[in-house]
Amino acid sequence: MLQGFFLPETVDQATALLAQDPEAKLMAGGATLVAMLNARVIEPAALISLSAIPEIQGISVLPDGRIRIGAFTRHRETAQCTLHLGAAAVLRHAASQIANATVRNMGTIGGSISFADPGLDYPPALVAAQAEVEIAGSGSRRMVAAHDFFQDWYLTALEPGEMVTAVVLPKPQAGAHGVYIKHARVAGDYATASVAACVSAQGQIRVTVGACGPVPIRDDDADALLSEDRSESALARAGALLQARADPLDDVRGSANYRRALIPRLLLRAVRQLALPVGALQ
Amino acid sequence: MSAPRQTLQLQVNGAEAEVRVGLHDSLLTVLRDQLQLTAAKRGCNQGVCGACTVVRDGYTVRACLSLAHGCTHADIETLEGLNQEASMQALQKAFAAESAFQCGFCAPGMLISAHALLLHNPSPDADQVRAAMSGNLCRCTGYAPIVVAVLQAAAHLRAQELAP
Amino acid sequence: MNTATKQFDALPEGAVGQSVTQLESDEKLTGQAQYIADMYRPGMLHGALLQSPHAHALIEGYDLSAAQALPGVRAIVTGMDLEPAHRMGAFIKDEPAMALDKVRYCGEIVAAVAADTEAIARQAARLIKVFYQVLPAALDPASALQEGAPLVHENTDSYIKVFDAGTQGNLCSRTSMREGDLESAWAQCDVVVEQVYHTPGQAHVSLEPCGALAEIDAAGRITLWSANQSVFRVQANVCEALGLPMTKLRCLTPRIGAGFGNKMEAHVQPVVVLLAMKARKPVKLILSREEDFETVRARHPATIRMKTGARRDGTLIARETELLLDGGAYGDDSPGVLGYALLMNCGPYNIAHVHAHGRVAYTHKMRFGAFRGFGVPQVTFASEQQIDAIARELDMDAFAIRRLNMKRDGDRWLGGQSIFSNGLAQCLDAVEQGSGWKHRPAQADTKAANSESRTGMGLAISAHISGLLATGAIVRMLEDGTLLLNTGAVDIGQGSNTALAQMCAQALQVPMDRVAIASPDTDGSPYNWGTTASRVTYMTGRSVVAAAGEVEKQIKKYAGAMMECAPEDIELRQGGSVGIKGVAAASLSFAQVSGYAHWAAGGPIIGSNSWVFDQKTVDPKRAVVLGLPFANIGVFSFVAQVVEVEVDTLSGKVRVPRAWTAADVGRAINPAMVRGQIEGALVQGIGYALTEELVWDGPRLANPSLMDYKIPTMAEVPPSHDIYIVETQEPTGPYGAKSVGELGINAVAAAVANGIVEATGARLTQLPLSAERVYQALYPQDFA
Repeated sequence: MLQGFFLPETVDQATALLAQDPEAKLMAGGATLVAMLNARVIEPAALISLSAIPEIQGISVLPDGRIRIGAFTRHRETAQCTLHLGAAAVLRHAASQIANATVRNMGTIGGSISFADPGLDYPPALVAAQAEVEIAGSGSRRMVAAHDFFQDWYLTALEPGEMVTAVVLPKPQAGAHGVYIKHARVAGDYATASVAACVSAQGQIRVTVGACGPVPIRDDDADALLSEDRSESALARAGALLQARADPLDDVRGSANYRRALIPRLLLRAVRQLALPVGALQ
Repeated sequence: MSAPRQTLQLQVNGAEAEVRVGLHDSLLTVLRDQLQLTAAKRGCNQGVCGACTVVRDGYTVRACLSLAHGCTHADIETLEGLNQEASMQALQKAFAAESAFQCGFCAPGMLISAHALLLHNPSPDADQVRAAMSGNLCRCTGYAPIVVAVLQAAAHLRAQELAP
Repeated sequence: MNTATKQFDALPEGAVGQSVTQLESDEKLTGQAQYIADMYRPGMLHGALLQSPHAHALIEGYDLSAAQALPGVRAIVTGMDLEPAHRMGAFIKDEPAMALDKVRYCGEIVAAVAADTEAIARQAARLIKVFYQVLPAALDPASALQEGAPLVHENTDSYIKVFDAGTQGNLCSRTSMREGDLESAWAQCDVVVEQVYHTPGQAHVSLEPCGALAEIDAAGRITLWSANQSVFRVQANVCEALGLPMTKLRCLTPRIGAGFGNKMEAHVQPVVVLLAMKARKPVKLILSREEDFETVRARHPATIRMKTGARRDGTLIARETELLLDGGAYGDDSPGVLGYALLMNCGPYNIAHVHAHGRVAYTHKMRFGAFRGFGVPQVTFASEQQIDAIARELDMDAFAIRRLNMKRDGDRWLGGQSIFSNGLAQCLDAVEQGSGWKHRPAQADTKAANSESRTGMGLAISAHISGLLATGAIVRMLEDGTLLLNTGAVDIGQGSNTALAQMCAQALQVPMDRVAIASPDTDGSPYNWGTTASRVTYMTGRSVVAAAGEVEKQIKKYAGAMMECAPEDIELRQGGSVGIKGVAAASLSFAQVSGYAHWAAGGPIIGSNSWVFDQKTVDPKRAVVLGLPFANIGVFSFVAQVVEVEVDTLSGKVRVPRAWTAADVGRAINPAMVRGQIEGALVQGIGYALTEELVWDGPRLANPSLMDYKIPTMAEVPPSHDIYIVETQEPTGPYGAKSVGELGINAVAAAVANGIVEATGARLTQLPLSAERVYQALYPQDFA
């Protein structure tokens, strides 16, 4: 059993500590973790800070053109990233709408997605952008598609002893674009419902709905429909397909009925903002 | 069950500060209880209200959500340490002139956020001020005078820059 | 009538009418201001609470052994430390310092611990075992009032009541007001609207959570600092709850981080005093935000059944209002809120035939109490929508119907009280002009193809009183001729210290820096009921001016003796001196006069005044009233408000891009502070209108946190808000002033609701007008 505060300098050191004590908690930005400590929801005897590991810092372009966002990248940096992201611009939109400026200085993408609260802004954006999550365990590395990473309420593909080291976005295409539509009660609130939408240079659309179930929601048929046809009836049919997959909660942010009803409406707004004429084919 | 307390060296307001902290102590607890720096307030302890906002390495953070242990390699600035700064004084003057506070509980956090905004963006417009400071809650003023005060301070500081 | 007023039409040099910066400005803006949580006393312990997990349960026993055994624990208190007979309460003395024998709401204080650190205290509190026998709970007012409902208080007959409350079973209080002949009046009406409205609990969310610090001295006397709106209410509540004589308790005030009503009556003060007495050391206890949400108080949830009738020409003839307030587990200010809401239910209109009646029900929920507006936001949400609905049915302009029916000179309020100054007409003119109401686009024009939003404007008007109960002021001239003002009025951030000092300086014609204002202290300050009911400027201001008048008399008497002339020949001069009228050279400074008084003859110059608001609310020849808890209430201020709303037709979300508010405040003692109250009240009103709602999950509050309970952020504020201050010079007011503190919140929700009707055709009758509720009104088929 570990006790105290640890500051590993490499990913291997961090995962070695985790292997020693699976009860130890990783701390990235710390915002979510410390809020839970303050509320005494958790009381871990050991905390492993990830703030001193260079490998998980920063946003870079990989040799094959994919974009690698280190797990310790703050929301502020993701929101202000000036790299051409193509369809993954949806991630910039989502990051910029998380909470408020001060929380964006603290929170990180790795910490956020590891927590996997379905109300978060990253999950639907990453799924729509076809991102991959880079995971490290003791002596092992693997990549998991974002769609497979988010598995249930607060449950991800991370096995015990593993940590997120980066998020990798596909190589950006010129002419591709992405938007994130968030409906919340006030600025900075968690989403009541959200829609992330990406369009490729060829006009292929991928939409993902957030905060309407345990994981981000998408539907291949809905994507196919919208890629062919953006008329009101196509939007309605795509919206219905997504609604059918939704499993929203009743909570103070909205009733399940309302969240379901919002899906086609936010979808309409997302598609409009993608700046494709509704009703006309590419 | 609590872990044994540890002695840490923090950098606060340009000086070394030695504190004894538990593993789970937040920076806010340490600032207020051990260093008697009570300008940062506890309004919610969840990071929502913004009354605990301080500056860390040039960016605003929530002291209530910052682990004390995680601050040992950081430069922490609180309102007490910024009172002599020209930019903070311009903000304080403008807040007073525009009645941009009433009960004053949110004021330290507001001033910190405004100070940091002007550091990174010396010429914000009203929308940018509102977006940058939407994480600081106020229940008394209705916010409008705060926006005016920040814009006024920004204009004053820009004019000073231009003056010989 | 107390003649302690001075009319100064034009005083270019005076402090009154100037936007003087708040006296506490420097300390607040440099972070040096000391609020209760910032205070430390030598040897201080830290307190923590244990809250009830049940809404209704008998307490069968406690096991404190594990808690007591924790190192660092110094004292534990429970209901066992209380006498059952000791109860506090503003109108009905039904409330113990903490739960005794039974718990009556989830979150009620059951025990408290004092320990070396807050962490130990909280840990110890969690180790306290309480043995409960859970009982069925009455969770909503309507069912609580039914035969056979679980009783919140078994023995209400044994409680002291300060008025004819009619308390029985779960009926906490009942009130009725009647004018004219309502039953026959309906027959005269060409148009009748009837509707039921629902308004939720609203949390104050002062940025500063509640807290207190108590210290016992060697003589056993207690000094108590707390986040409060009245040191005298703290004193009375603690002494009643603990059975102490008032001479044993001294209540003081640190800087206060706002209140809005939350801190007017007791919160943790009795428990903290009890802890300090047991531990024999100072104890400080600060509530967490969650505890503040759950334990203290909130705005009354209300069900309002309202019926209004008018003639074809728009004349309002009849009004019936039936009000049911959820009072929660303890009476607190509930009877006052009920009575006041009924008194104000018609709004500032002449309606000849009125029956307004209501009840407060005890329920097993947190107590509901004073919150800015004190019942008026609730009834105005209903009333101003009904006026609007009648106007629409008659195809009448919203301003026209209001002008036709509004109170004018000589009109009296419901119940019969006279109105001495009335700026409604000017207020309506100002917002009509300012908003461009007459030129606003017709509904059809705002609907563009593929448009994702619709806009509309809404109007609402309201009123509020300032007055109520007792206040006093003492002005002392110090040896050097400077002045010390002591009123006992707590400045909770609204700037009363500054405004009262302005009035004192004006009255004696000295610059502001010659006046100091003492901090409220039950030992040294004259009684002041509290900072509530928008009363301090008017009530305490009048006392200040009167006390200053006493000082002026004494100055003139001594100056006359010193200069060998009659006091009538002495005049005050600007800057702190007196002289003989017409003889410029003959003058004495205040310092000289004070020196004479102190050392030669007469004694130190002390001016004092005390009074109780004395205008009768009810003229029994005009109205039949039952159970109204206040005989004398206050003078009336008025407000008119227009908002522009923008409804997102995809999500139902409403924003308010522009607003116009005109307020008749009598006289703006400090215009910047008057504007500050109106700005703040608009935003708090927008929260009430659009996003704020306390939600219960069975017996438990579901959203006691700022994550889940959302108040407006800077991003939700109308980027444009024009404020018009109307000054009608209230003849009974100090320098003509009335009030502004609550006025600005009363009409907001109604104005927004009326704006939504214009934008979308949908009239909503339940607050908040959340995106979901608006969506449901626009697309009911989606919820079928």
